[in-house]
Amino acid sequence: MSDIAVHTRGSGPIERIYSTLRRVPTIVLWFIVIVWSLPSLSVFINSWRTRDAQRSRSWWTTKPDEFTLDNYESIFNSTTSGGLSNSLLNSMAISLPATIIPISIAAFAAYGFAWIDFKGRKGLFIAVVSLLAIPLQVALIPLLQLYVNGAHLTLPWLDKTITIIPDFNLVNTTTAVWLTHTGFAMPFAIFLLHNYISSLPRDVFEAARIDGADHFTIFWRLVLPLSVPVLAAFAIFQFLWTWNDYLIANTMAGTNPDAIPTTILIANLAGDFGMNEHLLPAAAFVQAFVPLVVFFSLQRYFVRGILAGSVKG
Amino acid sequence: MGDTVGKVVETLITIVIAVSASAAVWLIANLIVAQGRNHWTRFATLRLGIGGLLFGIILSGNRIISGSGSIEVATERNGDTSWVTTGSWSERLIAWIWFPLIAMLAFAAVGALMSMRDSRSERTLIGAVGLAVVAGVGGALVREQFRPEVDAAALAIAVVVVAGLGAAIATLRRRDTISGALTGAAIGWVIGAWGAPELGAGSSVWSTIALAIPGAIIGVRAARPNVPDEAGRDRMDRRSRAFIFLGPALLFVTTNLVVPALRTLYLSLFDRNSEEYVGLDNYRTIFTNPKSWDTSTWRDMFTSQLMWVGLALLVLFVILGIRGKRRTGRVIELGSASSGPLLGAVVLIGFAVFTTVRGTIVNNLWWVLVVTLFSTSLGLAIAVLADGLKGERIAKSIIFMPMAVSLVGASVIWRFMYIARDSAKTQTGVFNSLWVALGRLSTGDGLPTLIIGAIVTIIFGLLLVNIARNLARGEPARAAAPAVFAILVGWFLLRYWRITGTGVGGHRIKDDGTIVAQPINFIQDPPFNNFWLMIVLVWIQTGFAMVILSAAIRAVPTELIEAAKVDGATDSQVFWRVTLPQIGTTIGVVVTAIIVLVMKVFDIVKVMTNGNFGTEVLANNMFREAFSFGDTGIGAALAMLIFISVVPIMFLNIRRMQRES
Repeated sequence: MSDIAVHTRGSGPIERIYSTLRRVPTIVLWFIVIVWSLPSLSVFINSWRTRDAQRSRSWWTTKPDEFTLDNYESIFNSTTSGGLSNSLLNSMAISLPATIIPISIAAFAAYGFAWIDFKGRKGLFIAVVSLLAIPLQVALIPLLQLYVNGAHLTLPWLDKTITIIPDFNLVNTTTAVWLTHTGFAMPFAIFLLHNYISSLPRDVFEAARIDGADHFTIFWRLVLPLSVPVLAAFAIFQFLWTWNDYLIANTMAGTNPDAIPTTILIANLAGDFGMNEHLLPAAAFVQAFVPLVVFFSLQRYFVRGILAGSVKG
Repeated sequence: MGDTVGKVVETLITIVIAVSASAAVWLIANLIVAQGRNHWTRFATLRLGIGGLLFGIILSGNRIISGSGSIEVATERNGDTSWVTTGSWSERLIAWIWFPLIAMLAFAAVGALMSMRDSRSERTLIGAVGLAVVAGVGGALVREQFRPEVDAAALAIAVVVVAGLGAAIATLRRRDTISGALTGAAIGWVIGAWGAPELGAGSSVWSTIALAIPGAIIGVRAARPNVPDEAGRDRMDRRSRAFIFLGPALLFVTTNLVVPALRTLYLSLFDRNSEEYVGLDNYRTIFTNPKSWDTSTWRDMFTSQLMWVGLALLVLFVILGIRGKRRTGRVIELGSASSGPLLGAVVLIGFAVFTTVRGTIVNNLWWVLVVTLFSTSLGLAIAVLADGLKGERIAKSIIFMPMAVSLVGASVIWRFMYIARDSAKTQTGVFNSLWVALGRLSTGDGLPTLIIGAIVTIIFGLLLVNIARNLARGEPARAAAPAVFAILVGWFLLRYWRITGTGVGGHRIKDDGTIVAQPINFIQDPPFNNFWLMIVLVWIQTGFAMVILSAAIRAVPTELIEAAKVDGATDSQVFWRVTLPQIGTTIGVVVTAIIVLVMKVFDIVKVMTNGNFGTEVLANNMFREAFSFGDTGIGAALAMLIFISVVPIMFLNIRRMQRES
């Protein structure tokens, strides 16, 4: 476009057309923005339209009398698919522990790696961070088996089997899902928090040590309050990641209608073509509501979390 | 409604229990370690209590103690006894935890009694008798099927060997040799008494003895004077703290990542039920399966229009490159004139290849090409266009917003863009509406048809004028881009006007001459349905690329740009020669991040087609094989394949991150 914009000297009719073309970058940008918002807009508008309207007329030709609240009412009341309110709760029951527990565990570990002196610290840290390279698909099959059967080790030579982890019958519960998320979050969380915590000024720690504070006190009184920004960035990233996750939830709890989060409910709804298709826009919008609120209210932290999270495996 | 409230309460209670229980365990561990510095005897007592807890957990978790471990019904099947767990989760928890708790309290009680005595012989006596009794009671409770028939010779050998080993290790580490020997003897006793013989043949007397004796040995060991000096306590404190701070994370990493990943590797070498070792057969199956790699129609790529247009663009790029070389001395010159043809050539030739060679792995590569190229270049274009513009923040927010939506949600959203309805009905999807409307326009003869045609003809004319002016100025390189556009627009016009063509857009002329709408079935028509699925991810990832790249563009020093402008560089020259080289590293970051993400793409394919209609990708194939068809071997091998394809890129990423921090 800038090729065209360069030649604007002179004042003939063609030159005048070119000078309008100067605005082309702006026009192109706003054209892209409109194209980008069309998909969301179409679903948002469709979510308020009656079933017949959705099926027979396009959403941009909608008439006022086609609007209805029925779709939202039915997705919250519907008993056919377990209901959206149930799966919203499941999403919460997954996302909250899957955010709080990893963040605390990773904070301990990041502090340990940064400020407790012990042999093999550096090697261990590199080993943990290298685990970022593991795509989660690699761990799914054995993890599912673990939740179904527990872990048993057959001792060589003695021919005895020891139970290392008993089967808690976790499969198809929300617990299995957030436990999985907790493990997968660990390398990234430790890496992110360690970067921040290890860059805190050394003097603060030494002064506290001289005052007789032990590691626990330093961690609790000094490190946690100082690390709030990075904790917030990670919390937002992890919350959205777990809220929007489909693969792990589908593997660990996909077959139990009482334990499925919203993503699975919507995928199932999309799977049975026909009857409930008109509820899909409303369900999709409700599912996206929580992340969108986070997005618009905490955009700065959100961006920071997403950028940092781009390295996650 | 009552149901929902109950569910909310239950959910909250579960969360609170899970979080506070973990927090409590961690805090208690810290408290116990904190005793070590100033109250050694108290610490020793608590440590013994933890030993008791572990002792209980091992016995209870293995269902060795009767009435503990789980509530189950034994069922005989094919001669094997298997347990079917019953009871609510709270009942199961209690069944699991009662024995460890009692064991912990009993051990701690013995430890407390010991710490009240100053005389070492008294402590030894209390420790030996106390722990022997406690452990012996545990032994008496052992289920019938676990009671060992002790073989004295094996027992003696195990005790002597392991005790010797313990003593040797302790000596080498400059610790108390006798303590090491005692610990070794206790471990050896357990191995000899429980590991070596056949279980289930012995009596309760044997099982009692088999636990009481090691209990006594541990009691004697605990009574030995092992209060360390100040430095020793410091070291001990540091080590325990490191363990407490890192322990939970390492536990999760081990159980959820390391062990499962290794086990996946192991499973990938076995058959579908993980019973028979098959070597690399699963990998061979994947690579020889025409579904993952079908080259039977590869010759078609040379008859594909995409290929020829792509090659033409490539030739154009080479010509422009040679001209550029003459001017600037560089072989490949990035610039608006030549990188357009290059980008077009890569996309078109790629499409020609990926639409004729088909399969799961090919699809993954196609995804990588499209999503990476489109997201990055679009993200870069938007970042450049929006830079410093009015309304920049709003525009960027809207482009970035899809990042917040789940991939499932995005798939659902795009399904509504792609809807194809019967040709007789109104199209409700945006794409098909436009497509069918275009068809109606170009085959109609009303005023709108004329107007649209006229507008496009004017654009064509302007492009021709532009080409002519550039040629007249002696700048043929500048004429290349408009020429490519002019060819495209001219081709469109040729087909658009009824006099010269058969019309464009979604329409079909029936045999009787009537014209009917012909929508595209975006999701089901192979092979281009793949491309329409990729667009969903492009829609999401463009925002990601844009945010990173626009931050990088901001970070380019303004002096550089000012200097270039003073030297008379045009805006486009500034971009290609100054900005782009400066943000090269960041582009690399974006590209690698997107490639890693795309190799694992799953949700979109699963929700939109479930891999049908020729859209299968590795991750969805893995899910299907492993969890729908129950073929663990192939599933694991596919997972390893994803892993192997991502590892090099991830390591580049991690190396870069470590350099940065």
